[in-house]
Amino acid sequence: MANSEAIPLPEAPRLRRLAGEVVAGRPAVIISLATVLVFAVIAILAPWIAPRDPMAQSFIAINAMPSSDYLLGTDQFGRDLLSRLIYGSRNSLIFGLLSPVFAAIAGTFLGVTAGYFGGWIDRVVTRIIDMLLAFPELLLAILVAAALGGGFWNVVAVLTIAFTPGFARVARASTLAVKQEPYIEAAIASGVSTPVIIFRHVVPNISAPIVVLMTLWSASAIRLEATLSFLGIGTQPPAPSWGNIIREGLGNMFATPWPILTGGLAITIVVLAISTIGDAVRDALDPEIK
Amino acid sequence: MAEPLLEISDLTLEFGPISNPVRVLNHVSLSVAAGEAVGLVGESGSGKSMTSLATMRLLPASARLTSGRIRLEGHGDLLALPSDRMPEIRGRDIAMIFQEPMSSLNPVMTVEAQIAEAIMLHQQMSREDRRARVIELLRLVGIPDPQARMKAYPHQMSGGMRQRVMIAIAVACNPRLLIADEPTTALDVTIQAQVLDLLREVRQRLGTAVLMISHDLGVISELCDRIVVMYAGHVVETATVDDLFDNPQHPYTRGLLRAVPSLETSARRLYQIPGSVPPPGTIKAGCPFAPRCELKRDICTREMPALTPRGRDQRAACWVTADTPMTAEAIA
Amino acid sequence: MTRYILTRLLDAVPTMLLVLTLVFLAMRVLPGDPALAALGDGAQPEAIAQFRERFGLNDPLWLQYLHFMRDMLTFDFGASLMSGERVAQLLVSNLGYTVELTIAAVLLGIMGGIPLGVMAALNRNRAPDAGFRVFSLLGYAIPDFYLGAVLLIVFSLSLGWFPISGAGDGFADRMHHLVLPALTLALLKVAFLGRLTRTALLEVLGRDFVRTARAKGARENRVIYRHALRNALLPLSTGLGLSILSTLSGSVAVELVFNRPGLGKLLITAITERDYPIVQAGVVVFAAAVVVVNLLMELVYVIIDPRIRVQ
Repeated sequence: MANSEAIPLPEAPRLRRLAGEVVAGRPAVIISLATVLVFAVIAILAPWIAPRDPMAQSFIAINAMPSSDYLLGTDQFGRDLLSRLIYGSRNSLIFGLLSPVFAAIAGTFLGVTAGYFGGWIDRVVTRIIDMLLAFPELLLAILVAAALGGGFWNVVAVLTIAFTPGFARVARASTLAVKQEPYIEAAIASGVSTPVIIFRHVVPNISAPIVVLMTLWSASAIRLEATLSFLGIGTQPPAPSWGNIIREGLGNMFATPWPILTGGLAITIVVLAISTIGDAVRDALDPEIK
Repeated sequence: MAEPLLEISDLTLEFGPISNPVRVLNHVSLSVAAGEAVGLVGESGSGKSMTSLATMRLLPASARLTSGRIRLEGHGDLLALPSDRMPEIRGRDIAMIFQEPMSSLNPVMTVEAQIAEAIMLHQQMSREDRRARVIELLRLVGIPDPQARMKAYPHQMSGGMRQRVMIAIAVACNPRLLIADEPTTALDVTIQAQVLDLLREVRQRLGTAVLMISHDLGVISELCDRIVVMYAGHVVETATVDDLFDNPQHPYTRGLLRAVPSLETSARRLYQIPGSVPPPGTIKAGCPFAPRCELKRDICTREMPALTPRGRDQRAACWVTADTPMTAEAIA
Repeated sequence: MTRYILTRLLDAVPTMLLVLTLVFLAMRVLPGDPALAALGDGAQPEAIAQFRERFGLNDPLWLQYLHFMRDMLTFDFGASLMSGERVAQLLVSNLGYTVELTIAAVLLGIMGGIPLGVMAALNRNRAPDAGFRVFSLLGYAIPDFYLGAVLLIVFSLSLGWFPISGAGDGFADRMHHLVLPALTLALLKVAFLGRLTRTALLEVLGRDFVRTARAKGARENRVIYRHALRNALLPLSTGLGLSILSTLSGSVAVELVFNRPGLGKLLITAITERDYPIVQAGVVVFAAAVVVVNLLMELVYVIIDPRIRVQ
């Protein structure tokens, strides 16, 4: 047992050094971090900084152009676009945060199980993962959403299912690699129980690629949620999300282009910022995964 | 001797920043006469491959030629030619075979397509004639059943067979000069001998001049008339094969010779020159071989000796042997 | 080679059956009652019972599964709840539009992406490469439906160069309707395929046989397009398969933006109208498309890479 206690785990200083490497000498990364931070603050403080109620309709201010009253104008129901965008950021960020985390947990569970135990479990899991990986995430999400329907938790489930196969593949491959390491053999030989080996030794050692994927895919998750909401199978109106702001804007584009333009811009900026950060994390943490 | 076929003179090649360059070739001069076979020998890092790539003008983009000329008979200085003239010369006047037969052929093209391309680039020929020529070439390089084998892809052939295909590509347009850069190094010993035999035969049949590059004096002496020894970017000795083997005038050459296995020495342990080749750029002054040299004097670490004549057709760059020539006994 | 293709074809059969099984499980076993989904939360119990009876949802699961597999494998997709039209008929009449859009977008993407990737690779770390990097970053970040909507606003609404909706009749009109949707999807493909081309080409250009080609006297254009690019196509063809499928899934949103008929619009409309038979059939068709495209790409791979052919 003492033997296994001595096994080094990823320590805090490494994480701090890593953070330094991610930022070092890259203005684009710093700007991206600042951007994400600003959006996060906006999302958290939405009730206090939104100038109006995002759901409040006004029949005297339908399709208003940007003015001092409505900074970005209003939509076909006279709702303040800026306030809807601000509240919409909540949806985007919460999905961008939640679904990769859930998918990482589910995928790691599947991948580690398959990789560590091997045998028929591995064959079954690998076959299903390979098949699901043949589907683009969007298509998988649309197909699952078709079966599940809209609504917050369904969307979380849809996004989670869409990203789980990718995590599972990486977790499985990393587990196979880690399993070869002498310290795992040493732990097995010294009688450490299987759950302890998995949670103390395998999972921490495959965390690097999982973290990279989580960062990269939170950008994909935000874009995916926006697409689903645009298609009408994500966040359901009247609740605002960037995707359904564009959806409603499209039906109303003859009157005002602002919902489409600003909603899309918000998605683009956040996705751009997060993927820039994700690329930097990847380069710093593990230059091998693409 | 008439004007040589190839004359490299005063070639200096650098990498790295201009302010702090790393010199890979240092005023290298050598020549190859028409029909002659010259061996360029040296350990890895001596600059022999860079010399051959410079001749083809296939150096990496980061390389800088700071002095020198490479004259090819009938074309003048190749380094002065506009770069879009070089493709006409490559393959037609100078052809080259490389060390790695495994990776030097295009994996997605058939052997026939790759040989036919070499012909097509320089000669107008009907498709049927070209195919007949491919078969003829494959027969020349000793590939059995050429009609069937030419449909094969490189991965379906052994290393020795691929090197034969490389030779067929190289001689496809009857070049005047064939540069062979370590053509046998990656092959098994028995295959090495076969490929060397083939090169000798090709040379006899076609009268092609050969510039053969190798770290192995034994391999070079099999094929060549004359040998140029390079060390750390310098030419240190040049002589006919017989003179060089009987009467080397550079301590480095002597070390190389003692390292060659032969019938007489096979019983003893093979000699190894102490130390290793200094990395390019680390020797700033003096003879680069001085740190490993048994005959070193004070002047050796201060000043680089010039290549001076030592008898007929022999030249060496060594302070010590210029004063007191090495005797044959000293070699053993 | 024939044997290889046959093996691949045979291999696709269990994959297709597995896909169908997963679709069945997703539609019947995942939380969410198809009857409730179809009729809405406020549906009368009698209506729900009737619905369940009609679609055999009261049968034991294994029987439902057998019926489902039988129907799907015989292309019997039932009839629309809304219009009563045969679903198979609806699929066939919409398929052409989606295929037309996907093919046009992928072709444009290849024609733009490969030359751009080559340009970026040949100018590595110089201005054109940097410009391409910005473009490909944007190409990743901009959602296709947003790009489509912007193109629609600018070129159809403001400038009036292109129609605002529909797919057109007759060849010229159809092409006219196709331009903006295809361009929307293609621009993002250009970014993706360009990046792939750049990486693959840079890797190949460093290999020995490229030097051999130059030593033969091949000119730079020939070296790049005949020797290097052909080898770079191997990793590219994998990316191309992904790209075709992501174009297909992107077409769903783009069909909605340009109000264009097609499988995606059919499926999405069916989901919002809770038209259960169409949803089920649409899901199966898209899933089948994934299997078919992957199979096609494997065959393309065989054509490009002689090393697979002989095995």
